[in-house]
Amino acid sequence: MMLTIKDLQASVEEKTIIKGLNLTINPGEVHAIMGPNGAGKSTLGYVLSGREGYEVESGSVEFEKQDLLEMEVDERARAGIFLAFQYPVEIPGVSNMEFMKESVNAARKERGEEPLSAAEFLKTAKAACKQVNLPLDFLKRGVNEGFSGGEKKRNEIMQMILLQPKLCILDESDSGLDIDALKVVADGVNSQRDGKRSFIVVTHYQRLLDYIQPDFVHILADGKIVKSGGPELAKEVETSGYAWLEGHEEASA
Amino acid sequence: MSQWLANVLDRASTVNDWLSPVRQTALATLREQAWPTRRTEAWRYTSLHEVAELELKQAGNSASVANAEAPAIAGLNSLDLVFVDGQPVTDFSMLTLSAGVTVTQLHGVNAEQQGRISELFNQAKPAHHLFGLVNDVLAEQGVVIDVAAGADVQQPIRIVNFVTDGVESHHRVLVNVGDNAKVTVIEHGAGNGHSMNTAYAEYVLGSESKLEHYRFAMHGQEAIHMGGSHFKMGESSRLNSTIVGYGSRLTRIDTDVIHAAEHAFAKMNCIYLLAPKEHFDLHTTIEHAKPNGTSEENARGIVGDKAKAVFNGRIHIHRDAQKTLAELNNRNLLLSRGGQINTKPELEIYADDVQCAHGATVAEIAEKELYYLQTRGIPRSQALVMLNFGFVQELVNQMPNKALSEWLQPLLRERFSAMETK
Ligand SMILES: Nc1ncnc2c1ncn2[C@@H]1O[C@H](COP(=O)(O)OP(=O)(O)O)[C@@H](O)[C@H]1O
Ligand SMILES: [Mg+2]
Repeated sequence: MMLTIKDLQASVEEKTIIKGLNLTINPGEVHAIMGPNGAGKSTLGYVLSGREGYEVESGSVEFEKQDLLEMEVDERARAGIFLAFQYPVEIPGVSNMEFMKESVNAARKERGEEPLSAAEFLKTAKAACKQVNLPLDFLKRGVNEGFSGGEKKRNEIMQMILLQPKLCILDESDSGLDIDALKVVADGVNSQRDGKRSFIVVTHYQRLLDYIQPDFVHILADGKIVKSGGPELAKEVETSGYAWLEGHEEASA
Repeated sequence: MSQWLANVLDRASTVNDWLSPVRQTALATLREQAWPTRRTEAWRYTSLHEVAELELKQAGNSASVANAEAPAIAGLNSLDLVFVDGQPVTDFSMLTLSAGVTVTQLHGVNAEQQGRISELFNQAKPAHHLFGLVNDVLAEQGVVIDVAAGADVQQPIRIVNFVTDGVESHHRVLVNVGDNAKVTVIEHGAGNGHSMNTAYAEYVLGSESKLEHYRFAMHGQEAIHMGGSHFKMGESSRLNSTIVGYGSRLTRIDTDVIHAAEHAFAKMNCIYLLAPKEHFDLHTTIEHAKPNGTSEENARGIVGDKAKAVFNGRIHIHRDAQKTLAELNNRNLLLSRGGQINTKPELEIYADDVQCAHGATVAEIAEKELYYLQTRGIPRSQALVMLNFGFVQELVNQMPNKALSEWLQPLLRERFSAMETK
């Protein structure tokens, strides 16, 4: 087991958003999480990343036999958790290149590896940049500074490729992308599937899942996983939307 | 009047050298000065109560000082003039000087130069700086740099002034940059301990001359440092100045750029970095007295917990100074809610055909930026250092001398770590 979430309940500003969530992920698996706006999908990602202000009220999260909830944000990242943000933040003044070099070397240090020299890093970074179809000068620019929505998403995928995490959480990495950009993102993700690395692909639409084949699809609504199944569940969502959830909630109440 | 100032006036009467005639004028002005209070505009946000009762050992004139080496700066290859508590360590008679430059100790100016050099005194520095006046009457030590017209001096000249525990000292620099001449001067203040020093420098720029200037006020937490760099711009002269100041118990720096002739261009970048509980006060003034002048000033400060920064940026465009271009921008980053910044742009514009822009901002460190960096595995304190670098990097990159900007990088990293609220 890579990740085990048990009965997780979490709140933001004293409002409970995650309301008893269970999820188990094995190495190599791709789990899609779908659900209506406001269901708590992004909140789940933030809670797993350890963001301040996202309080865990009860439940447990185990990642590779460690108690994830006891770890700092950066410790979780170095332990192998990567969150690709729905809305990546712009940090003018800090170059993308320097930022990624420090991150990669922090991860290497954690693994007991030597830091990459500037030249070695540049080579790797250039390759990753090409892979997600970003011009090389994006490495020199401030982190996400003035990037378009799509460029920010691709920059996230580039970071994922460079950091080689164990569990990747992609929060709506498809939103706002045209079909070409969507393919770039999907290809980036698929290139990282190696049978060991696991993925949580959060998406509002089924579209991305045509390109990234999930093993499991979960429907998250009102802070809980209300239905789980195989890829066919995503198709179901596509045809009938989320309206059926209302009925489901009534039934389960 | 404070006891300290009374002692200054007493000691001033014992100073007797070739500058005495010009010192007398300053002394008369100083006698009329009231000790600043919170109601004194120039000292509104900086209290002088620490100075008022100060009783430190005076740096002796002939006291032999411990051998001190200037902190090495790789690749700079500067001519280093080293002082400890204002007393020279460098043997000035042994200097190898670039063509067209004379460098002498303040008291060692020969009779032939004296008339001309004494005219430089208080040429660029206005008389309203209280501690500048103190320096006028007490600074017996210092450096005079005279760059001949047309000289293109490649080797940077660095004046290093260390302060030490328990000592009060006063140090003066006078620089004459001849017409069409070009030179780089670095004022480098360092050292720690419960010390007090005043260090004032005046630069008179001849027409079409170019001055590259740096002032590093990197004193330790315990020091009291009062200083100024003042520039009188000749016709079509160019100034590129970078000031990097650490906070301390009390650091106050005043700068004046006086466009005394037309078509001068002055660029000034200032960075101030305050560790917790430190104080730093920067007052800058740009006087556009003549038409067609340009000034660009950028000041950025990062303020730690319970520290206090004061920035006052004055631009004064005189009635005759048509076609002036003046820009002033001040940005501040607070590392904690406990930090304080008082920033005030002050514009006085009496000419109608000018372009003048100014702005000041204060921001808090963005938690979501810190979080983002942390989600990529970067520890919080390192992420803070990166964000701090991000805030000032643009100005560091603009330093024309690459050896200096390279040298500064690790120092800033160290500084940013010291600034973190632990
Ligand atoms: N910082 C916050 N403060 C208050 N409420 C929040 C905050 N973040 C999210 N929420 C609320 O939590 C709920 C879930 O939001 P989110 O996780 O962003 O949903 P999703 O990603 O599924 O669209 C929403 O009702 C949203 O308004
Ligand atoms: Mg969301």
